Amino acid sequence: MRYLVRRIVLFILALWAISILIFASLRILPGDIATVMAGINSSPEQVAGLRLRLGLNRPLPAQYGSWLKDLVHGDFGFSMLTGRSISEQVAARASVTFPLVGLGIVLALVIGLTMGCLAVMARSTRLRSFCHMLALVAGSIPVLWGGLLLILLFSRGTGLIQIFPSQGFPDTGWRRPAEALQTMALPAATLGLVVGASITRYTRSALNDIAGSGWIDMARSCGMTRNQALMRVGLRLTLPQLVSVVGLTFAEMITGAMVVENLFALPGLGSGLITDIGNRDLIAVQSELFMLAAFFLVIGLIVDLLHRLLDPRLKESTVTGRGRS
Amino acid sequence: MSSSKLKTDVQEGTVRHEDTTAGPSTDPVLNQRLKAPRKGNPLPWQLVSALLAVVLIAVLWAGRSYQQPTAGVTAGISKSVSIGFRLAPANLDIRNQSGAALDQALIGNVYEGLVSRDQTNRVMPSLANSWEISEDATTYTFHLNPNLTFSNGDKLDAEDVAWSINQLMEHHYHDADQLQNFQSVKAIDKDHVQLQLTAPYANILWVLTGRAGLVFDRKAQYDPKTQAVGSGPYTVESFTPNSSLVLKANTRYWGRQHRAKTETLHLRYFADDNAAVNALKSQDIQVLAPITANLAAPFTKDTEHYSVHSGAGSDKYVLAFNNKGSKTSDMRVRQAIRYAINHQDLIDSRGGVDQPMGGPIPSVDPGYRDITNLYPHNPERAKRLMAQVGYTPDKPLTLRLTYPNTYGTELGDQLRSQLKPIGINLQLQVVEFSTWMQDVYTNHNYDLSLVDHSESHDFSQWTNPNYYYGYDSKVVRDLYAKAMAARKAEDTDHYLAQAAQQVSQDAPADWLFNYRITTVTLTGLRGFPLNLNQTLLNAWKISYSPDKPKTSGPAARALYDRPKWRSSDHATFLQYTIAG
Amino acid sequence: MWSTVEGRFALSILLVWVFMAVLSLVWTPQPLWATDGQQVWQKPSHNHWLGTDGTGADVFSWLMAGSATNLLICLLTVACAAALGILLIAATVSRSALVANTSIVLVDALISIPTVLIALILAVPLGASVVVIVLACGLGYGLNLARVARPQALLAARSDYVIAAQVSGASAGRILVSHILPNIMPVVAVQLSLSAGSSVLAESGLTYLGVGVSSGVPSWGHSLATSVKLINVYPLTALWPGLLVTLVVLSLNLFGDSIGDAIDPQSNSALREAA
Repeated sequence: MRYLVRRIVLFILALWAISILIFASLRILPGDIATVMAGINSSPEQVAGLRLRLGLNRPLPAQYGSWLKDLVHGDFGFSMLTGRSISEQVAARASVTFPLVGLGIVLALVIGLTMGCLAVMARSTRLRSFCHMLALVAGSIPVLWGGLLLILLFSRGTGLIQIFPSQGFPDTGWRRPAEALQTMALPAATLGLVVGASITRYTRSALNDIAGSGWIDMARSCGMTRNQALMRVGLRLTLPQLVSVVGLTFAEMITGAMVVENLFALPGLGSGLITDIGNRDLIAVQSELFMLAAFFLVIGLIVDLLHRLLDPRLKESTVTGRGRS
Repeated sequence: MSSSKLKTDVQEGTVRHEDTTAGPSTDPVLNQRLKAPRKGNPLPWQLVSALLAVVLIAVLWAGRSYQQPTAGVTAGISKSVSIGFRLAPANLDIRNQSGAALDQALIGNVYEGLVSRDQTNRVMPSLANSWEISEDATTYTFHLNPNLTFSNGDKLDAEDVAWSINQLMEHHYHDADQLQNFQSVKAIDKDHVQLQLTAPYANILWVLTGRAGLVFDRKAQYDPKTQAVGSGPYTVESFTPNSSLVLKANTRYWGRQHRAKTETLHLRYFADDNAAVNALKSQDIQVLAPITANLAAPFTKDTEHYSVHSGAGSDKYVLAFNNKGSKTSDMRVRQAIRYAINHQDLIDSRGGVDQPMGGPIPSVDPGYRDITNLYPHNPERAKRLMAQVGYTPDKPLTLRLTYPNTYGTELGDQLRSQLKPIGINLQLQVVEFSTWMQDVYTNHNYDLSLVDHSESHDFSQWTNPNYYYGYDSKVVRDLYAKAMAARKAEDTDHYLAQAAQQVSQDAPADWLFNYRITTVTLTGLRGFPLNLNQTLLNAWKISYSPDKPKTSGPAARALYDRPKWRSSDHATFLQYTIAG
Repeated sequence: MWSTVEGRFALSILLVWVFMAVLSLVWTPQPLWATDGQQVWQKPSHNHWLGTDGTGADVFSWLMAGSATNLLICLLTVACAAALGILLIAATVSRSALVANTSIVLVDALISIPTVLIALILAVPLGASVVVIVLACGLGYGLNLARVARPQALLAARSDYVIAAQVSGASAGRILVSHILPNIMPVVAVQLSLSAGSSVLAESGLTYLGVGVSSGVPSWGHSLATSVKLINVYPLTALWPGLLVTLVVLSLNLFGDSIGDAIDPQSNSALREAA
């Protein structure tokens, strides 16, 4: 309970610290949106006029204060550049990124759990080590290159087997799910394969540890075969650890997601964020960065609590050091 | 080390198959016990892999079956055309937001100006069907077409014209400073507008074809960042920033001539070249402009389905030298750089379509002459000049090249290579455009800068000593003033050419090349402008009529076979050319 | 470590890498800054072993020069991660409950912030540079190290010999260096070599996104990112840097595995894999 309270207090403090960090680092950077909007053939008067209209002349603490106040009220403001509400803009982009990451995770779990179990339970030593090596190699592939290989293999237009589109997201969005899902196929596969490789390795090593533990001996002495024991007892025992691994992987996946979004020209959070930074659309960038950071902090919090909930052995383990993970 | 070996064998199980200790546990005794129950139930992973295979096949099948031509028809004229572009507008606020992408999408399509220009960059009638110029060339009287309307139904009259220009000047909207010598504008009656200048200005009509001459509805209320109300043949149906803009034919369009031939135009923006090329290959888009010449190679070969064109443009890749900078204020350094650069080499590596240019005026603008012979490629001369200043390859001058990341890294690498032998150590600083705007454009804190000056008729930047070049020449200013004051176009052309020659001689910058736009279209697409299409795209005449699919023909690429279109239209495709 | 196939493979690749990196400082088959507009996108040939890129420069030479940059990034990142990780571990085993608990909760909270987000924020004032990669990755991997090594560190901190040392008046620093660090060394070594691999991967991703290595500096990510543009026409050029990165990362991971085995046969493999 004390851990929980401390964790939540720190969560709020971290959010606040991040808001300051983001705001400050964005003000240090050279260039502002007015000069970008005005462009190469602009006069100083034009830039001054724009700055006045956009409210860029206000003192920084006042700008930070009003931003923070709006944040607390759940108002993320309006993009200076596109003139749209930032929450709306983020929601539109999230409708690309979340399905992408979600599909990727599902694929990764399917691949990872299957291969991980195979790498431990398969009867043939060759198959076991093959799975392990495959996971090692796949986990060493840069996402960008993996995506390229998939494009060269499966993309419509370029690929060897031309079945999936490799660019963009339909304007109709998820109203035509088949089309939308198709554009997700290659990007999600890219993510899924790379992340699946690391999940394979986790599953394998966790299962290996469990296999050598007394619990499996216990289960087997009750009459289960080794694989039955591993499936029914072993997997359940590794669950808490897997949950935290997946949580952390999810956070790291965003790097891959950004690369993949750029490579496949998907209008998601990652590619949008990079465009906004380039355009110095500061209100949009700071709100988006903040939302992302908050999102990942929440994920971290949930994973931690879930881990504790799933694994009663872990009640006070981080403090007493008795736990195994 | 022996225990480590044992451990590894246990872990990997690959190294020594005969090793009976191989197993999942770190405890060999335990593993040996595990060997016993060999016969168990069928392993669940077999089931899982079978399931996986089924899912995979299903997905592949779904991928195949959902392919449909985006055009929506298989014969006759298509109701919609998708066009791929590279640079996307961030918003639709054409009065505040800079960038050629907005001009390209909106001018002549959604918004119209008093006058417009054609494919050869000449001024043509638009909202005004004619105009009179007073004897002293300071009073312009425009006659508007009758029955002009905006797409929302509002009447467009002379008051709207005067209001639009007055707003522009009052709020310093984009391109306001281009409207030089402006005194006043007023509506004489419903159909006549009078523009008064303080002194003659030869570019005035051309300037009015751009943003400065656009006419807005003074009564309409809309958010200009996300919507647009104009009088053009198209209206904005929907806009997704950085992604797509859908234009729909304006049913209330006032004119007959420029009525839209295609009902819906999808303008799609691709940040990534490969994505754009793949979209074209899979025929999700029917046109792609621009495409780099290197990427166009496969399309050039496939004449049955595609046609590749290169069009003239006003893009000038300007390698500016900071004329007031500590190192580049020495003219010999600037001249040496100009002699050292091998322009043809740069152009060839980019696919060989761009044009070398020796001075600040591109081929589509008045005052153009071929002055590439002023500074021919001559590394020996460059070396001598640098030696005079006191630098050699062993004791090089370090210069910083700052340029925006939108141009890729190649040009910087090439320039660095070319300048190395003459004793210049070029440090590359690729920055975001916003940083470039701040450091180079606003604060003039740079040695060398590289940027694409895409606008036409922009010679005046060489007459402004406060511009980021820091170039100040009284001769050039006087010549430009003469050119702008001239009544006859030939005189303007003559003086501009002289001014350009003078600028080039003074070497305040090097002009790497005049970028030519490579456009790829599907066979069957007609009316797509090829010249200047990055700033001016009169979309009303674009149409697409895919013919019936061929009944027989060579097997399509790999497994997936798309309908093939006949190439009979290829020969009749209207190809505009100016200036080579 | 030499006794297994994997170990031999990893070690030889890594040695070649270091050798190439050092060699590239004094010699490359072709000069780096020798572009040629007539010779762009050439196929592999006698003069250009892996062909040329879009500027006509030699791909092999650029990859070779890139290996030096990547090695530098790798080493700096590992050093950063090690410093931060050990600092955090020291805080975790601190006798002050406040410091210990705060550091635990801090690590738990911050570990969920993705590296790329940190890199994006850092790149805003710093611009694209090696420093961004090193700081962002160093921070991320340092947190990771602290978390992974925590259970063992706590175990060691509560062991009898540490208590004995405390009783006999050893300082906290001395206990950390002579008792706790040796105990967590296997985990730290494995974790750091995995971080080395991740930093190579991160470099390619971040450089592609424009916040990594700046232009004009050869690196594998730079080679990959520039050849990506023409993947449709010249797929071969993009093959090499990707292959190279995969090979090196694989070696670093295998190296990590064998290092763990070599140092500590009893090491918990779950800890090792928990990267």
